[in-house]
Amino acid sequence: MIEAFDLHKSYGPAHRAVHALRGLSVSLRTGTVTGLLGPNGAGKSTSIRLLTGRLIADRGTVTIAGRDINREPARARASIGYLPESAPLYPEMTPAGYLAHRAALSGMPRRGRSRAIAATLSRCDIADVRRRRIGTLSKGYRQRVALAAALIHDPPVLILDEPTTGLDPAQVAQLRALIEELARDRTVLLSSHVLAEVEQTCDRILIIAGGELRADGTPDELATRAAQDRPAIYHAEYRAGASRLSDLRNLPGITEADETDLPADYRRITLRAEPGTPDLREPIAAALVGCVVRELTRQRPTLEDAFAQLSGGAPIARRTPPRSAKHEPAATS
Amino acid sequence: MSAALALARRELSSLLRTPAGWIIAALYAFLTTAVFALRTLDPGQPASMRFFFATAASLLAVVMPAVSMRLLAEEARAGTLEPLLTSPASHGSIIVGKFAGVLAYTALMLLPTLALVVTLIAVSDRAPDPGPIIAGYLSLMLVAALYLALGTLTSACTSSQTLAFLAAFLIAVGHLIGTAQLAPRLPEPASSWIAASAINPRVADFARGIIDLKHVAFFIIWTAWLLVLATVALARRRITP
Repeated sequence: MIEAFDLHKSYGPAHRAVHALRGLSVSLRTGTVTGLLGPNGAGKSTSIRLLTGRLIADRGTVTIAGRDINREPARARASIGYLPESAPLYPEMTPAGYLAHRAALSGMPRRGRSRAIAATLSRCDIADVRRRRIGTLSKGYRQRVALAAALIHDPPVLILDEPTTGLDPAQVAQLRALIEELARDRTVLLSSHVLAEVEQTCDRILIIAGGELRADGTPDELATRAAQDRPAIYHAEYRAGASRLSDLRNLPGITEADETDLPADYRRITLRAEPGTPDLREPIAAALVGCVVRELTRQRPTLEDAFAQLSGGAPIARRTPPRSAKHEPAATS
Repeated sequence: MSAALALARRELSSLLRTPAGWIIAALYAFLTTAVFALRTLDPGQPASMRFFFATAASLLAVVMPAVSMRLLAEEARAGTLEPLLTSPASHGSIIVGKFAGVLAYTALMLLPTLALVVTLIAVSDRAPDPGPIIAGYLSLMLVAALYLALGTLTSACTSSQTLAFLAAFLIAVGHLIGTAQLAPRLPEPASSWIAASAINPRVADFARGIIDLKHVAFFIIWTAWLLVLATVALARRRITP
């Protein structure tokens, strides 16, 4: 549904041009939610602007629902529902009036507009403020009005830039459910700085950095890729008459081992294995036979780690409380 | 067409819903009424609105840039240009729609001045000839269209309303001064060329009741040309944000 091939875009005069995008090629299918990630200045906004037809690429092509955005701009853009990052709206208008305006702009036939407006107001949960001025609405309501405007003409392609900005947790969950519902028969591209949101909502993730596509895969695939280049870390808590540190230290692939005493005769051991070492939970469990083991986990890289590694940048903001990594429970205890 | 109509409606309703629209209209009404009261309601003079139309047309050089300055500059500043430029509406229909909206506002802004015509009829011994009055109002709409098109162009070139206003204002007022004061002092053929582009003599002809098609064509062609340039300026925003 969205096809981009070899997109290049630079800004400024030729002698000191800033290359915002260098050869981006992606193909996004119907029925998927794709997340677009990248550090600031990576080329995310430029990518979105090229995909929506807001900007013209220096080189390359964009096809939306089979229509080239430069050759058939009106038809291609009619297939897009776009929610810009700042959710720009006209403060003096009402949500109902604004949706009617956007419906007319998108070329919707006059007949059926009223029904579409009522349905979209209800779908985005803004029917109760339909007659209030947008300028008097809260940020969450305004965000939902902007989302409703992107949906009013029932487009097959949705491009959402930071769609959860200003929403409370309940509204974020509602929006996630709405995106999942919409994605059943649409192509959804979602750009966000909130990794947890992307991880929970998206089937596929694109990581852009330095104007280039650095990674493309499912959240699990990206985390696995990150894991290949990072040491695996294991934690175990056990109770035994004597320390098993020396046995565990001698397991193949272990590079570091530390042990600390815990209350009630328990010990906590942390093991660090070489990158690429197969899962060591079973050998660790075997070495702890005869002990009371109350925890054995392998620390897996998160999407945040994958992002930092694949984009070459610092981790970006989380919405969930800080947690250093995901833990997989032990297969045995 | 549907997009242009939607944009025209939005522009008009936006000006009618915001204080700026009412302040501009009130200011114009006040100034034109003052001119009418001081110069047209002169006892013993013939019942004519010539001076009123000449002054009202000149005032448009200041007022129309204020009306049109926000058309695209404000959209760019507020970010609402994003949904507009990613909608199926063409650049031409965006420009025409916005221009039509402010032109409709201008027509409404001129409406209260009809009270001045009624006043003149009421206080005159001999009712004024309707021909020059109708032609005078036609000239005001044509002049307003020209200045609005100029303002649309400057607004399409920048994201700053202030710059858009200043550019349109300086060009419009500079042209008025240049054609009136500079042209007679220049050698031929520059003098003739500049004089040929003058607005005030054309308005004066309209106010005498002469609807010269050459004058009408002058305003329509220049307005259309400026709108084409505004369309090109808007299209350039797809090359750089």
